Amino acid sequence: MKTPASLITSVLGIVVPAAILLAPVTARADMPTFEVVAENGRFTPETIEVPANTRFRLQLTNRNVGPEEFETSTPFKELVVGPGVTRSTIFPPLKPGSYPFFGEFHPETAKGRFVAK
Amino acid sequence: MGNALFIVWRESVEAILIISILLAWIRDRDDAHVGVRHLWAGVGGGLALAGFIALAMLGVHGWLAADALDLFQTAIVFAAAALITHMVLWMRSHGRHMKRELEAGLARAADTAGGASVALLAAIAVGREGAETVLFLYGLAMEQSGSTLAQLFAGAGIGFILALATAWLILSGARWLPGRVFFRASEVVLLLLAAALLVSGVERLIDLEWLPPLMEPVWDSSALLEDGSTAGGIAAAFAGYRAQPSLMVLIAWLGYWGMVALLGRLQRRSAA
Repeated sequence: MKTPASLITSVLGIVVPAAILLAPVTARADMPTFEVVAENGRFTPETIEVPANTRFRLQLTNRNVGPEEFETSTPFKELVVGPGVTRSTIFPPLKPGSYPFFGEFHPETAKGRFVAK
Repeated sequence: MGNALFIVWRESVEAILIISILLAWIRDRDDAHVGVRHLWAGVGGGLALAGFIALAMLGVHGWLAADALDLFQTAIVFAAAALITHMVLWMRSHGRHMKRELEAGLARAADTAGGASVALLAAIAVGREGAETVLFLYGLAMEQSGSTLAQLFAGAGIGFILALATAWLILSGARWLPGRVFFRASEVVLLLLAAALLVSGVERLIDLEWLPPLMEPVWDSSALLEDGSTAGGIAAAFAGYRAQPSLMVLIAWLGYWGMVALLGRLQRRSAA
């Protein structure tokens, strides 16, 4: 009978390579971390200076009444944060330049940018 | 109102499209083992999943830490990619073997494997898209009241209807294709979707620092197609496109297609 065999093959085909890739688990490295607070539909600070060509962590604390979604289009990133919650995400190295971000749930007011130097 | 309309439309189109592809696919197969009932059971489960994810994201602090939620979502994404792949490959071989399997009295086993995949896939599609919609509407509702609140729900309703209409338009366009071509095309769309899910799962693991990005970006095609734009967003959601992919993501994407090709070949060989 074929069905279970092909199920096992396809599951193994995904799990085994994933496990091999997972083996060299990197420790939480020291990474520059930038904190942003979302409050009253705005972000503070609105301009964040980050080192160019370096990975960095963005930590977002949401003090809005409702949830907020932090988003950048270049590089594309989305981070949904419930009210009163802090979450973080990691950005890839950015070339020197300016990278706008916005709050998708408050697109009129929640705007800012990363400046990579 | 405009906001709610747009968000609901955007999020629903994706889920409704996946459901319609599955529906058209099930009908085209005309296969008694994988029925429309599996699909609707999955949609129902997906709505429950959406509610659960949204609640967890709203920060019911104590019982689900942020990392646990991220891991849960990552696991869902990987499970979905595996399920789609399994389903497409299984359906392919199943059609050929059905008669023999029926004669061997294995119909029930076949029923479980294919039907459950369809149900789970529908649940995951609805759950993923639904959670964000729930959060967004909740956020808007928290900050408004009275008549604007009514307008908000009106907007959400219109958005949903527009999404149904959009999916219907796309699918009736697809109906001009011969059944065979449509079936092939839907297989490819489903596999592309699985690859896209895999890419987003790998990115989540990189975010959790469980996987190294290796090298990033390998290239930058954001001048041609930005993945934050509408067209780029569709390419990202349905095919795993990235304007600035990391080497790890690239390996996962290529590895996925290599694996699909290999499994397909093994299947053909064992069928011969």
